[in-house]
Amino acid sequence: MEFKEIINSPGMWIASSIMIITIIVESAVFLKAGIDEARRMGIPKERWMAGIRSAAITAVGPSFAPVIIMMALLAVMGTPTTWMRMNDIGAARSEMAMITLAAKVAGVEPNTASWGLKGFAYALWGMALNNVGWMLAALLLTHRMSKVVASLNSKYDANTVKLLIAGSGIGLFAFLLAPALVPYKTSTWIAAFVGAGSMVVISTVFKNYPRLQEVGLGLSIVIGMYVTAAIMG
Amino acid sequence: MSAFEKKSVRIGVTFLSCGIIANFIPAVYVYFAYGIIPPFSDLLKIWGVALAGFGITYIVQPTAFYTMMGVAGSYIGWLSGNCADIRIPAITMAQKASGYEAATPEGDVMATIGVAVSTFVSIFIISLFTYLGGEVINNLPPFIKNGFRYLMPSLFGAVYMQLCLKHLKAGFITIILAAGAAFILKSFLHVHIIWLSLVCIAIGIAVTQMVEKKGQ
Repeated sequence: MEFKEIINSPGMWIASSIMIITIIVESAVFLKAGIDEARRMGIPKERWMAGIRSAAITAVGPSFAPVIIMMALLAVMGTPTTWMRMNDIGAARSEMAMITLAAKVAGVEPNTASWGLKGFAYALWGMALNNVGWMLAALLLTHRMSKVVASLNSKYDANTVKLLIAGSGIGLFAFLLAPALVPYKTSTWIAAFVGAGSMVVISTVFKNYPRLQEVGLGLSIVIGMYVTAAIMG
Repeated sequence: MSAFEKKSVRIGVTFLSCGIIANFIPAVYVYFAYGIIPPFSDLLKIWGVALAGFGITYIVQPTAFYTMMGVAGSYIGWLSGNCADIRIPAITMAQKASGYEAATPEGDVMATIGVAVSTFVSIFIISLFTYLGGEVINNLPPFIKNGFRYLMPSLFGAVYMQLCLKHLKAGFITIILAAGAAFILKSFLHVHIIWLSLVCIAIGIAVTQMVEKKGQ
């Protein structure tokens, strides 16, 4: 079987669907539990229906935001995996980071001639190992979260924690970007700088356009790709 | 904890546990179907860097969002993701539209309903676009396909800038030091690239702390 056939095979669709089914069933069970409790508490139907309508409408706009960056995942991981990972925990950029990181461990690069089943397998494990962190934390802590919140607030300065998170994210993506810049290659530098520059322009010049901000990252990536393609020929 | 919260915990623990297993099914399937699995040492390397880069957020994000998301919201949100941009706004609007305040029993019920509904909507839209994208990507014209050669550097340039927008000086210093470290490790030391990842994360943390605290 060809690589593209494998990553889009019926087996991958079935394997990827288990998470989606889990999320849908969980949401259905919680929705029923919520509506049953609303009725038990005497919340009028028109009020909780208003809540349902408002939540549904609110969810529409932001659901479109990752569409452009989703194309990046599609190109590298195929449709079933993209479908699963776009619908579960882990932002698209975190998934791309883990794919690239796992690929480096495997000694390959995504979206190049070296990318194949080995890189794909490594990437699947990478995304799973990263995403399980949030799931485990929620599983172990949610039922006693009030105590955890109080404990964290008393032990750690909020600003220091914020800087730690920012610094580790900046460091991780510097790791992913830096080897692409060294040694020098014209196309890589152009793509990285145009992508970065587009992000700055969209975030500053167009900061008063919320809809544009939602798709800003995806748009910056596309601008970087096609300006580079136009320059390089 | 109220009876409804206890019920939510039972539901949430059940499905989050299932989700943790489902999370690994594609990777395990590829092993059984094609015999490919990273050796344990490589899995540890990947997990180690994930922990270094994202580990703090595993604890801090669920904690920080808990007061807004509540019990059910947390169990759904940390499985389906998009907590800040979809789940929390849906919770807030469900409470507002129904006329109940957050952190009240009625508000918690509306939060549960709101986050569940938001999941159905986002899954439908994302699934539709994923399917359409999967069909479209095979039939793209040559110029469009050609652009995908520059996807990764453009992506990491854009994401890096997105992360640095509030920490421009720290971001500028970090990328220079990281590029220098990449040059040294690649050219002279020939150590595994994973060591570069840990060095870069350490640089990012140290530089951000020094620059931002100096600026305060």
